[in-house]
Amino acid sequence: MVKSISTEWKEIFRSSEKKNNYLEYVSRWEEKIGAFLEFNPDLGLKLASGKGVFEGVPFAVKDNLAVETFHLTCGSRILKNFLCPYTATAVKKLIDEGAVVVGKTNMDEFGMGSSTDNSALKTTSNPWDLNRVTGGSSGGSAAAVAAGLVPFALGTDTGGSIRQPAAFCGVYGFKPTYGVVSRYGLVAYASSLETVGVLAKNISAVREIFEVIRGEDPMDHTSLEYTPSGKIISEPVLGVLGGDLGLDEETERSYRKTIDRLNKLGFPTIEIDLPTMEYVVPSYYTIAMAEASANLARYDGIRYGYRPEFSENPDELVKTARNRGFGDEVKLRILIGTYVLRSGFQEQYYVRAQKIRTAIREDFARVFSEVDIILMPVFPVIAFKHGSEGLDQFQQKLADKFTSSVNLAGLPALAFPASVEGGLPVGMQFISPPFEEERLFRVAEVYEREFPPADPPGYSADWR
Amino acid sequence: MYQSYIGLEIHIQLLTRSKVFCGCKASFGDEPNTNICPVCMGYPGILPALNEEAIRMAYLTALALNCEISRNTVFDRKNYYYPDLPKNYQISQFGAPVGKNGYMDIEFHRRRKRIRINEVHLEEDAGKMIHAGEVSLLDFNRTGTPLLEIVTAPDLEIGEEAEVFIQNFRKMVRYLGVCDGNMEEGSLRCDANVSVNLRGRGLGQKVEIKNLNSSKFVRKALNFEIERQEEILERGGTVRQETRQWNENRDLTEAMRIKESAQDYRYFPEPDLPPFTPDEEFLHSVSSLMVELPLSRKKRFMEEYKLTDGQADFICEERSRADFFEQTIALGADPHQTATWMSSDVKRHLNRLGTEVNESPLTPVRLAKILKLLKEKKIHVKIAKQVVEKVFTEDLDPEEIIRRNGWEQITDRNELGRIIERVLRSYNHVMEQVHRGDSKPVGFLMGQIMKATSGRAEPQLTQKILWEKLSLRVVNILSMGGAISATFEDGVIVPGRLGNVKDLFPDRKSFNGKRIRLEALELANNLSEEITPEDWALLLATINEKLKSTDSAGIVITHGTDTLPYTASLVYWFFSDTEIPIVLTASSTVPGKSPEAEENLKNAISSTLTGEPGVYVILGDRSYSPVNLKFQHVGTGGFTNWNMEKPLYRGPSIVPGDFDFNRETLKAGLEDGINRSFIARVFPGMKADYLIALINAGVKFFILELYDTGTANLRETPYSIKNTLLYGRERGVKFFCTSQQEGIVDFSEYITSHELWKEGAIPMGGLTTESAYTKLLVSVMVSETEEEAVRLMESTYESISI
Repeated sequence: MVKSISTEWKEIFRSSEKKNNYLEYVSRWEEKIGAFLEFNPDLGLKLASGKGVFEGVPFAVKDNLAVETFHLTCGSRILKNFLCPYTATAVKKLIDEGAVVVGKTNMDEFGMGSSTDNSALKTTSNPWDLNRVTGGSSGGSAAAVAAGLVPFALGTDTGGSIRQPAAFCGVYGFKPTYGVVSRYGLVAYASSLETVGVLAKNISAVREIFEVIRGEDPMDHTSLEYTPSGKIISEPVLGVLGGDLGLDEETERSYRKTIDRLNKLGFPTIEIDLPTMEYVVPSYYTIAMAEASANLARYDGIRYGYRPEFSENPDELVKTARNRGFGDEVKLRILIGTYVLRSGFQEQYYVRAQKIRTAIREDFARVFSEVDIILMPVFPVIAFKHGSEGLDQFQQKLADKFTSSVNLAGLPALAFPASVEGGLPVGMQFISPPFEEERLFRVAEVYEREFPPADPPGYSADWR
Repeated sequence: MYQSYIGLEIHIQLLTRSKVFCGCKASFGDEPNTNICPVCMGYPGILPALNEEAIRMAYLTALALNCEISRNTVFDRKNYYYPDLPKNYQISQFGAPVGKNGYMDIEFHRRRKRIRINEVHLEEDAGKMIHAGEVSLLDFNRTGTPLLEIVTAPDLEIGEEAEVFIQNFRKMVRYLGVCDGNMEEGSLRCDANVSVNLRGRGLGQKVEIKNLNSSKFVRKALNFEIERQEEILERGGTVRQETRQWNENRDLTEAMRIKESAQDYRYFPEPDLPPFTPDEEFLHSVSSLMVELPLSRKKRFMEEYKLTDGQADFICEERSRADFFEQTIALGADPHQTATWMSSDVKRHLNRLGTEVNESPLTPVRLAKILKLLKEKKIHVKIAKQVVEKVFTEDLDPEEIIRRNGWEQITDRNELGRIIERVLRSYNHVMEQVHRGDSKPVGFLMGQIMKATSGRAEPQLTQKILWEKLSLRVVNILSMGGAISATFEDGVIVPGRLGNVKDLFPDRKSFNGKRIRLEALELANNLSEEITPEDWALLLATINEKLKSTDSAGIVITHGTDTLPYTASLVYWFFSDTEIPIVLTASSTVPGKSPEAEENLKNAISSTLTGEPGVYVILGDRSYSPVNLKFQHVGTGGFTNWNMEKPLYRGPSIVPGDFDFNRETLKAGLEDGINRSFIARVFPGMKADYLIALINAGVKFFILELYDTGTANLRETPYSIKNTLLYGRERGVKFFCTSQQEGIVDFSEYITSHELWKEGAIPMGGLTTESAYTKLLVSVMVSETEEEAVRLMESTYESISI
């Protein structure tokens, strides 16, 4: 049995009293934050294997990961009524170890967004401040973990979609090396960038879940055998970014504070330079949207999903289904993705973006010859407010550079709750070379011991 | 002059057990939407997993097409929306396919040509959409089945060539076992790109043709399209870049949609599949699957087993057939015998059952056994035929069939001798009759021996023993008239009767002491130039009868000189595999006028006594091959053989063993062929219109006697035969080309030759006009289809230097 999860969680479905307390606690929170698109522990109990190191432990799954008998909406109208006939490999591995899926969490439609406000189905709010967003796109998973509705949740990270909401909600958000966790059952947005990852309350839970979900999968030919060097660096050197990073006051303060704290904990830091950082966002969005334009082509209303009552011909059926089924942000990204892939324009956009991607990967490799771990902010601002007061869609995209650079390079990264500033959590991230996840966990453990993460007001560890 | 360019895009469905990216069954004809899963239905979140069997077959095909094999094969997404394409993109290959820059060699009208293969790539197939009244229905069973696309360079020029390419390609993939090659059912699909331009100006405006679901349609559609484009250019117009489809009901291509700009498929690398990087082990496993391909196997069979082109073609048509052949040989059967049986009796039974030999009750062991029994003379041919039939109907071993039916032959010399003695004793008077010089009763005696043994006496040995006992051999002399048997009356030669041939040999010692009986039969009594199909029919039927009667030591045919090259080659095409000598002879003067007639006849008879089987022409003290005999000037010394490296007297026959030699049937068959044929000698100023008039009058086959290595006027003038060729080709008329000179017709040297080739004329290589003409008659008679006849015409003989 895993040690990272409390006994209370493991016994939650053992007695009806405990279960009822739990269900009440969840519904109390859900009224306020709306983390789940579908909450149905009974369905999950039917799927559960009943034994294993996660026996009886509930967890939430982002609604772009397939779980048999549950819906699989991706936060989109076009898949609102889609019941999933199969289970994603990562979820299956946890179920096989006894874990119980309690529900599917809200997200930006098809993972396209940094607030979860792009969900077509529900609004999710930050447990720390209901006026603020949870971040995204794995906002529902982050909020559910932060509020204590589940000890951990699965999310997906294409350009920061695990780490950014984890930072906004004050939990750990872990994105593994690309390919180490099977993508089978992850509804693709940008296949070459995205990974399945973990959101959890403590770092040892992250490690233990990672141990279960990783590994080569015959269903995913891009998946890789997990082959870490095994080398343990006793005094890792941390690389930090210098100069003006364009952070808001709280984040800037937290970043400086984190560096200080780490230095005091005995981790030397040196300033590093990542000149390719400026090109991250255009390269990231060009590749992501190009892939998305093809990945989302399958939603045509013919075999599943939203379909108009009547159509004159197949063409019209497809047009109407897509027009009514997709939200504006999704349409925008499909359009741009289609544009950059046009023949005659590929050199200018898609091919160029791939070249930048290679340069970014090389840039990181160069830095990792000098340092063992990079420390970076996750997002330039703290959780912003819902609606027009927050960041607009364009600003949100520009703000993705710290997170999406990691996806372009396929590296592992861990967002951790660094500090609370003005009543809101601020997250920072550790980045390591491929397969060196253990480095991230070890530093994060030292930090966690000294500076344990705070919980939002109203959080309860035993659902009272 | 215009040049046409044809490139093919071929899709083949690979015969894998499961689909290319999921575990669904890859089979056809099942209930709609039963072989589907979330992967091939493009459900959210699924990923493709590459089927190793499919990629192996792809590499194998690329290897067979001599491609550069990719060490880093990349899959790409080809984006387009269509309801039968679940993901609305197709996983295909664009920049780094399985194979590139390969080639396949084809042989067309004696020319070996290398057709370049641009690329071979693996992709997934789409489903099927059916519009049924108010609704559109979709069947996704085919979705995700592996499809291999093969793109050729525009190296083909005419429909016939493309047809040959597609036929060879089909044979190849069936040999490899990667595709069943069924064009009607769509497991092999072909689209073509055609362009026409003035010679030397490079490619013209490209037109794509779809819906070519048979190799015949490939030929017809392309030829139609080339002509259509030439006509447009001729009128000074421009060809529109478009997609057209073949309308098989109206025999024409029609526009589908105008391609204003190429559709943008927005290819980009498939992020869900890593590049396939084959290791040495994989590549080794691919090469170990390589088989000997049809063309080289056919060539080897011809060289190693001395099969004829036609036999080798038939046997190598299917890999299972060729395997069967070699398995039978390996069991000790004679290759020639095996091939003969496979392409006659066995073929007939298979056709009747509509099956292939490997799926029939006849196994290599059984056929080898039958041939062994035949060789050991345990059974004779007639019994062997019956045994083959019973193997098919009763599925029993040959020995069992023979035992059950009591068909074992008596081959023991002593036993046969005793039986023959007994028969001769009871027919003493018949034996005396034979000794008096009448050989007719020999057949009667044979009949009695057969009766006494219930037909089990081995015929040849029985015959031999009987001859020995009777001390008798017969040479049959068949007189066809001509000067050799004519008389000289009032200063002109008139047909006469063959004199008393016995008088030729007053001294019996000239036969080396052998007792020879000469039997003369007057088949015709006219001059050489008066010969008719009926005379030929009678001659052929009689030769066949004499060959069958088994008491003949040899056959001599006396003939006129003028048409001797025709009759000699005709006899050869029918009886080239004869077991006794057949000798044709003639004389330029009548008997008595000079010793020529008598000398020639004497030499002919003598030469039969050497016993070397074959068909010969004996004139004076020289022997000529019956094929490619040329009558150059009057006098028996006026004959020569053209294009003959070494004389050709004997060889495999193009006539099947079970051919019906009934005189009336022969006559009808010959007349049918002759009535549809015409020999036209090309001359300066020849008008195409006259040949067209002949076509309209029903001529289906021309022997065109051209200049040199096969040239004629093909410029756009009234004196060009180009229009004749065009007109004829549309109507299925065949032009077999020979030369007015000695030499080889292969269309190799002149631009006019190339035009002839392009217009579908068929070069006859080293064959002379006379021999080509008689071969045509035979080919038409023995073939079920015109294609088969043309194939026979193109089949070659080593000795005729080509």
